[in-house]
Amino acid sequence: MLSRLAELFQYRELIKNLVARDLKVRYRHSVLGFLWCLGNPLLMTLVFTVVFTVLLRSNIPKFPVFLLCALLPWNFFSTAVVGAINSVVGNEALINKVYFPREILPIAVVLSNLVNFLLASLVLLGMLLVFRTPLTPALLFLPLVIIVQVAFTLGVGFFLASVNVFFRDTAIIMETVLLAWFFLTPVFYPIEVLPQHYSLLGLDLDVRRLMYIVNPMASLAASYRDVLYSGVLPGLDFFARTAVTAFAVLALGYLFFIRTSRLFQEAM
Amino acid sequence: MATAVCFDNVSKRFILHHERPRSFQEWAIQTIQRRANMREPFWALRDVSFSVEQGEMLGIIGENGAGKSTVLKLISRILEPTSGRVSVQGRVSALIELGAGFHPDLTGRENIYLNGSILGLSKREMDRQFAAIVDFAEMERFIDTPVKHYSSGMYARLGFAVAIHVHPDVLLIDEVLAVGDEAFQKKCLERINELRRLGRTIIYVSHNLGTVEEFCHRVLWLEAGAVRGLGPAREMTSRYLLSVHEKEGKVALAAHHAQVATSDSGPPATPEPSSNDRTSRRWGSRDVEIPAACIRNAAGEEAYLFESGEAVAIEIAYRVHRPVEEPVFGIGIYRNDGVWCYGTNTDIDGIPTSGLSDQGVVRILFPSLPLLEGSYTLDVAVHARDGYPYDYHRNYCTFAVRSRVKDAGVFRPPHRWIIPYTSEKMGL
Repeated sequence: MLSRLAELFQYRELIKNLVARDLKVRYRHSVLGFLWCLGNPLLMTLVFTVVFTVLLRSNIPKFPVFLLCALLPWNFFSTAVVGAINSVVGNEALINKVYFPREILPIAVVLSNLVNFLLASLVLLGMLLVFRTPLTPALLFLPLVIIVQVAFTLGVGFFLASVNVFFRDTAIIMETVLLAWFFLTPVFYPIEVLPQHYSLLGLDLDVRRLMYIVNPMASLAASYRDVLYSGVLPGLDFFARTAVTAFAVLALGYLFFIRTSRLFQEAM
Repeated sequence: MATAVCFDNVSKRFILHHERPRSFQEWAIQTIQRRANMREPFWALRDVSFSVEQGEMLGIIGENGAGKSTVLKLISRILEPTSGRVSVQGRVSALIELGAGFHPDLTGRENIYLNGSILGLSKREMDRQFAAIVDFAEMERFIDTPVKHYSSGMYARLGFAVAIHVHPDVLLIDEVLAVGDEAFQKKCLERINELRRLGRTIIYVSHNLGTVEEFCHRVLWLEAGAVRGLGPAREMTSRYLLSVHEKEGKVALAAHHAQVATSDSGPPATPEPSSNDRTSRRWGSRDVEIPAACIRNAAGEEAYLFESGEAVAIEIAYRVHRPVEEPVFGIGIYRNDGVWCYGTNTDIDGIPTSGLSDQGVVRILFPSLPLLEGSYTLDVAVHARDGYPYDYHRNYCTFAVRSRVKDAGVFRPPHRWIIPYTSEKMGL
């Protein structure tokens, strides 16, 4: 286990190069490559803002900021997971021919999407300035939130990348799952719309609490919003629970990946 | 000397899933239909043990499916053994993966660094090797062009250049030398030779026994996943060739007998070959029959592999069914590409054959058969003096000749050079 991690460290150059490869390929092809990475969230913000403030008349103040705080992390999560799912299968030629720690493939995908996320955050920064949202010291907490999200994303990515080797329709299934997950995560609505008392078969359920327990992405979205939108620190015990969950997912996903990775070559 | 690669009772089992579900969908369908998932174990390697010393060049030979590539994949850690232990000292680089991991949209330069890091090198190490790699691949002009515009030859050249410049402690080579033009192949061989002289450990899988003999110190011979032999290169390749030819000979003989059996049951055999193609195997009236023939070496053993210039005897058994006047026994030797190398018969050589007993053996002895290296087939026949065939066996069996001397052509007439030549010296 430790030797495995040490080996991973030895291959850091490869991780760096794979991330660079992803970014170069993405941004070299289209002249507008970089602008596109900004344009996509801008366009989505526009659409959601029109739908929610004009058509549905929600009265969330500074809706674009409210939305982007959660939408950008969600985009990071979903593109990274989709990329990670295909990372092993898509590098079949490499896996059949060369040895290197296989876990590098999903790691590189998640990291290159992290870079994209940070670039796209320029849009958010612009919005914060446009809407004169005060930047508070709570912002210093942001890196921690990002780290926790990377851990969670990696864990999910490890797990699904491996499953996809054995069941090739995982990618297709996950497309639908991710869409449902998006709607079930408070990205374009505040968590407060969920009832705190909901009666199901005579049980009194706190749906809001349940959401946070079952869906770490909901907790992460809430944390991003606390830090960026409201300018306050997230509840520390709340955030600690989220972090523990995320790292547990990472550890389990990693172990699952390592266990199954020795069978990759034969399964492909 | 230290051991570079060691296999300790290594076995590798693959499970052949005949109907392994490839997706959740198939899995669900199979579960509903209760179809059993056919699993069939297949042992690619069984209890293979050998070790390679540092600085040694080991050749691996064997037929297709003998497990050669599995051994390489175990050494490079692409596969893990089912049981046993594989230990390798130092960095492994394999020339199996020429250009694997090249990304078509990246330039040659970017791909060199990417490929280097796949093989486990740091940026600094790659910086040092970069110029040499570009130079070796002869790519100066195209190094900043995306590799998708490269020809397949350029692609492979760049892949080879990277793989060979990463200074591996153990270099694996799997028949990649069929890459690029002849000049580049020569360069590759030279580079391999250089690495060998530098004391790198090299493991070389090839069907080209010539290069295996030329380069390798020892040879590992695999057969059906087990070690058939391990020893000096020339001894192993000879034994291997012999076994291949015996097998081929047996197959040819079996096919021959099968055909003979079917033609025996039919109407009287055709007296003329139906066509000129060299696969048509046997014809004739069978007034005199040749039930069997064989080739023997100087020691009198049946053999199908000879050194060029070795003594060879061909024995033809015959049986007379209807008395004929002076049957003519003949042989013909063809190279496997169809070149007729030699043919003679008792009539040409003026050997009387009248008064033969009803059955027996005739023997033709070549004190020296100076054919060059290659595969040959033997025709044996008995016919009348006017050419009317009694029993003609085309491609009766195959045999092989090998030679240490790499001269060219069909045969080697005895010769010597006199340099410089002065007429006084020569007794001619």
